[in-house]
Amino acid sequence: MPDYNLRLIIPEIFLFLWALFIIAFDLGTKRKNPKLIGYLTMGGIAATAVLLYLYHGGISFNNMFKSDPLALFFKVIFLGSAFMAVGSSFDIIAQKIKNHRGEFFGLVLFSTVGMMFLASAGELISLYIGLELTTIPLFILAAYYKDDRISVEAGLKYLVIGAFSSAILLYGLSLLYGLSGTTDIVMMKINLALLYLNTNGIGWALLMAIVMVLAGIGFKLALVPFHMWAPDVYQGAPTPITALLSVGSKAAGVVAFMRIFIDGLYGFADAVMFPLDWGNIVAVLAAAAMILGNISALRQKNIKRMLAYSSIAQIGYVMVGMVAVSELGVGSVGYYMFIYLFANMGAFAVATIFNDNTGSDSIASYAGLSKSSPMISAFMAIFLLSLAGIPPLAGFAAKFFVFAAGIQAGYTWLVILALLTAVVSLYYYANVIKMMYFAPDNPTIKLNTPLSANIVLIIGVAGLIIFGVYPEPILNFALDTARVFGF
Amino acid sequence: MLDLIIFYFAAVIAVGAAVMMIMQRNPVASVLYLVVSLVAQAILYVQLNALFVGALLIIIYTGAILVLFLFVIMLLNLRGEHFGGKQSRMGRASKIAITVILFAEMVAIFKQVAIPERIGTQAAAVAEDFGSVEMVASHLFKEYLYPFELTSILLLVAIVGAVVLAKRDKTEKMEDA
Amino acid sequence: MFETLFPILFLVGVAAFIAVAMAGASIVFGRRTSEGAKYEPYESGIKPKGDTRGRFPVKFYLIAVLFILFDIEVVFLYPWAVIYQKLGMFGFVEILVFIVILLIGYFYILGKGALKWE
Repeated sequence: MPDYNLRLIIPEIFLFLWALFIIAFDLGTKRKNPKLIGYLTMGGIAATAVLLYLYHGGISFNNMFKSDPLALFFKVIFLGSAFMAVGSSFDIIAQKIKNHRGEFFGLVLFSTVGMMFLASAGELISLYIGLELTTIPLFILAAYYKDDRISVEAGLKYLVIGAFSSAILLYGLSLLYGLSGTTDIVMMKINLALLYLNTNGIGWALLMAIVMVLAGIGFKLALVPFHMWAPDVYQGAPTPITALLSVGSKAAGVVAFMRIFIDGLYGFADAVMFPLDWGNIVAVLAAAAMILGNISALRQKNIKRMLAYSSIAQIGYVMVGMVAVSELGVGSVGYYMFIYLFANMGAFAVATIFNDNTGSDSIASYAGLSKSSPMISAFMAIFLLSLAGIPPLAGFAAKFFVFAAGIQAGYTWLVILALLTAVVSLYYYANVIKMMYFAPDNPTIKLNTPLSANIVLIIGVAGLIIFGVYPEPILNFALDTARVFGF
Repeated sequence: MLDLIIFYFAAVIAVGAAVMMIMQRNPVASVLYLVVSLVAQAILYVQLNALFVGALLIIIYTGAILVLFLFVIMLLNLRGEHFGGKQSRMGRASKIAITVILFAEMVAIFKQVAIPERIGTQAAAVAEDFGSVEMVASHLFKEYLYPFELTSILLLVAIVGAVVLAKRDKTEKMEDA
Repeated sequence: MFETLFPILFLVGVAAFIAVAMAGASIVFGRRTSEGAKYEPYESGIKPKGDTRGRFPVKFYLIAVLFILFDIEVVFLYPWAVIYQKLGMFGFVEILVFIVILLIGYFYILGKGALKWE
């Protein structure tokens, strides 16, 4: 009997069981204790992080589950985003969700488990199931306000687009399997290279596989031109779920992209492989994402839609590091996602708090917020400035490394474009800050924040400042993940 | 020879029914055409020695999932007239363009990959009983044990999701009142 | 190949024969009339009011979805049953984990009262 090394999946198993426990506990206590189950969920996530620290390093299930540095790094991001999403959803649970409260947290945890399985997948089928396990709970969570038309619309749109993109992805993966004869990603890398060298006839089939897989993952990442679902879904879904979608599920897409493209299709990133060079295809999509995301964000009046377009642009920046296919490239992408976790979760947490207190998502209603709630306004300013990439906040370092990787790999045009669009992005981020600080006084509302949301905000701000001033440890950890791909 | 006749027979039905499916304005008729198409596809799978997949296609898809499709159509009471008027010319043109591009790509792939001698080597590489239930089972329960167990988690999540979305609790009404 | 499929083909043939025979017999032996009432859904009885395609309540859907999920679970049992003797204890534990996870789902459904017909 082969060694299954079950020890390595203890964190995932624990989190799965904890999700069941949360649902059962809520069912057993008749939904009387929304706060308690919220804190239990946060505790469970923290405990999973500890278990992850204790049990990692190695492979199990015949290379299908890899507990390598890359998986570990991204699992920290997933747990962080789930932690912060749960932390900022207490008021929503108390006010808007009368029913199925335990399931709300349970589904968040299920989705996180899916992300963790996905990050560890060394094989295409496990990767696909991990991806489904990530997105299916999110379909349900997006439609969680069952009586709210736009939430239901968000859930339905996300479901249709998600199912459609899964089908495309699956078709692409089946072509990869057909060409390479294996679902193991490392074996696939070898077989594809051999096949390419030995036969000169796999060009079109491989190109189609690459395009299909790219489209499938592109939908999950909301990469242009597969982004059209994002603004509507982000707007309609409960705000903490939007935050989870924009950070956790996006980071899951990034890690899936890395596993398939940087690992499995490593040989085909180069321009020499024309027309199979996925590097150039992705670079063009990244450019489109940065241009379209930033320019569309300028016109948005709703904070969630604005952040949706901003996250489309952000994934464009991430892809600049990705196409570099180098140690710095992989490392900078990891670092970027790590910083993005704090900034974006923080910004959405503020949007959640604001909506809980005022019932509004419009940017105009943030006018004069600094007078009534100076602390939260200052936090929001920090999150937005970090997203824009202003030093000394961590967002600056993140953009810096990503751009450095791009230049190192010879994508100078892409980096110049990225810099130009980053300047544009400053305008719409600053617009919110201008509203909060310099708008003529509106009748203002004092924002009440529950303790858990305060924890989330403090984690966000602390992360941005600490890792902005002192990026080395995380950056080294992120660069270490590139070892997985042999850089 | 008989194989070839069965293949063309099933393939023409599968494609033809699929085309008819998207041409229908009545969603119930669409579903019925899909059933026809899936049965024909099952025949194709059986011809490829993939008995298990063929059987699954009948049991799961035509047997269960399409019944669910009918349920949903009746649930929403969808009719042809709910799908609005004619599509815009742009929309129609772009759909046709994408279909043509995909079709051209498929043809290109088959011209490159499926040259006869290579088909021969591929077929030799695959064992005689590759798609049989035993082989599928031994792959599924030995090599692919890990994704198999993950599937059960996926199904569990789907159960929770279905209950959350479709179940209206009594407590909800009480608290609302 | 053909030998393994012969029973199925035979069954299909019998089914097709019965269907054709029944329809054919009524054409051959039946008497044909064409009156207006013939074209109504229920020939004898009350005049139909409205449409047969009414809207279903969502509870039907819930039952159907749950049925399909367990149906998919059962599909995994077929191949397991085929090679169960080869797998031995290992296969037993494997399928046990699978079923227990889904059994949790079943208890969840019961706990939620999702099968109650309200």
